[in-house]
Amino acid sequence: MSGGIAVQSLTLTLGGFRLDKLDFAVAGHEIVVILGPNGAGKSVTLETIAGFHRPDGGRVLIGGRDVTALPPERRNIGFVVQQFGLFPHLNVERNVAIARRKHRSPAARTAALPPADDAAALLAYFGVARLARRMPEDLSPGEKQRVALARAVAAAPDLFLFDEPFSALDTQTRVELRDELLSYLRALAIPAIFVTHDYTDALTLADRIVVLRDGAAVQIGPATEIFHRPANAFVARFVGVENVIDASVVAASGAMATLAVGDQLLRAALPPHWQGAPQRVRLGIRAEQVVVAPPAEAAPSPAVNRLTGRVTGLRTLGPLVKIEIDCGFALQAYLLGPQALNLAAGSAVTAAIAVDAIAVMPD
Amino acid sequence: MTEKTPRATAPMLPGAPANGRRRGGAPSRPDRLYLLFWFFGSILVAFLVVPLVALALSQSWPNFAAVARMADVDQAIALSLEGAFLSATLAALAGVPLAYALARTAFPGKSLIAALIDLPLAVPHTVAGIALLMVFGRHGVFGEPLQTLVGLKFWGTIAGIVVAMLFVSAPYTVNAARIGFEAVDPRLEKIARTLGLGPWRTFLRITLPLARASIMTGVTLTYARSISEFGAVVILVYYPMTAPVLVYELFLRFGLDQASAAAVLLLAVSLALFLILRALARAAPGRANR
Repeated sequence: MSGGIAVQSLTLTLGGFRLDKLDFAVAGHEIVVILGPNGAGKSVTLETIAGFHRPDGGRVLIGGRDVTALPPERRNIGFVVQQFGLFPHLNVERNVAIARRKHRSPAARTAALPPADDAAALLAYFGVARLARRMPEDLSPGEKQRVALARAVAAAPDLFLFDEPFSALDTQTRVELRDELLSYLRALAIPAIFVTHDYTDALTLADRIVVLRDGAAVQIGPATEIFHRPANAFVARFVGVENVIDASVVAASGAMATLAVGDQLLRAALPPHWQGAPQRVRLGIRAEQVVVAPPAEAAPSPAVNRLTGRVTGLRTLGPLVKIEIDCGFALQAYLLGPQALNLAAGSAVTAAIAVDAIAVMPD
Repeated sequence: MTEKTPRATAPMLPGAPANGRRRGGAPSRPDRLYLLFWFFGSILVAFLVVPLVALALSQSWPNFAAVARMADVDQAIALSLEGAFLSATLAALAGVPLAYALARTAFPGKSLIAALIDLPLAVPHTVAGIALLMVFGRHGVFGEPLQTLVGLKFWGTIAGIVVAMLFVSAPYTVNAARIGFEAVDPRLEKIARTLGLGPWRTFLRITLPLARASIMTGVTLTYARSISEFGAVVILVYYPMTAPVLVYELFLRFGLDQASAAAVLLLAVSLALFLILRALARAAPGRANR
């Protein structure tokens, strides 16, 4: 990778909004997803990297160059927005041919990729050569995505920026286009920053995720870490953790802690950088990590917390059944449909939660 | 943003429910609604068209031909067209940049500026003429220095005619262009920038073509309004006479026959030009590129 991409203590005030010392890097051919709710500053971050807002402080490095003072047209960026932003007055070929390379990158990143100034060859690479004379309004979303990628590649970018390109699409199209985008990004080997509020987008695409809230990064890490080890209750709820439970630390020894939830005791692993445990914490437990079984089958194990309780509700969600259990506190679990057949509201069950399936988070 | 194709608007015919399906219970409701609206609409259309048709039909050919051959009538019409062309050109040159600035930037007092631009539409044109006389007249703030410094006179010249026309007609260009620019998605401009196009090239190749239909509509309205302007022109300039001033003069001196013949000629010329300009404005850009 030539130089790398980095956002260094980026600070920006825009109206009432503030981006606060944002720091992250994109290494190699990584796809970094900026995940956050509306108003968190995702698009502003992306547009600042692209050069549309001048930061109050901090630096942006793209392809090893400090581009903080450069206008967008000199930053070597491929920008793809919601509904793909093709120019409606130009046909497909002209959309691609309008790109102008300002800065010449040292070498083509992919041997298979045609020269950036050959619009027809680029369209062929993305399988849309036959659409060259069509107008954007006549294209399907999938065709638009390919043309948008061909156009972005025509400017020989060092970095792709995606601003919620799928947010206006139905679920099925979204999944198809996401998979296709991922395979193109892997083949092109151009790093990308992808902005979304949808955590399934993030999980599918991201090598790493930056969770943004109110203009500040609350957690940065690999997708699986964000998913299984959310840093706080906000991240946990945002990535769909069903059980976020108030608890207090009773005892901590080494990496293990005993926690009280109501009058139940749970054992859980503490996060690696846990310092001087606060008394009050939150526990994050994904519903699929709660194993529900009839009471008799419980066999004690130091690695598993066992709780007894009663079913308070069942909800069928396609192949899964979501079960609500009262075991001193409310707990949600998933079962496959047939496994839930003999359960009803009031059934006595045990809920088993592996010690390392519980994320301990600051209150 | 993009222009609608005719087929997209076709379902809005009277008597045909927009979605092609009748709602249960009240099948004839939309039909009655449209019929009623069309009834009232036709009254307005007739009100607009009938006087012009009546004027056209009132002419005896020999009288019309005689007036059309009068040199001062032809000169007046030519002067009107020339003045209106200059006025529309100036409105486009100054109004389009202003419209873009208004569409893309937010600043305190923006709504005040927008209101000021509309002001000439609310001022009676004779009042506008007197106001312009104060500024562009022999001893006006602009009139006096411009004559002493560069010899530009606004009384008795086409310059005065253009100034009067521009004052009352520029708002049409600014407002239409502003609406056109506001309809261009700023993200398209941002994408163009990332594709290596600078701000100027982005404006010329993306923004301007996408707002072109609105701008052309505005300039056409400015042109049409300039040709038809009487009040401000007659007060600021009077001589040389534009066509509307001449019609008024003929009416005062020779009565309805001569005045109406000149009026029909002016009507025919301005209508033809208006239709041509409208057709040009409507022609979708990009269609030719297919």
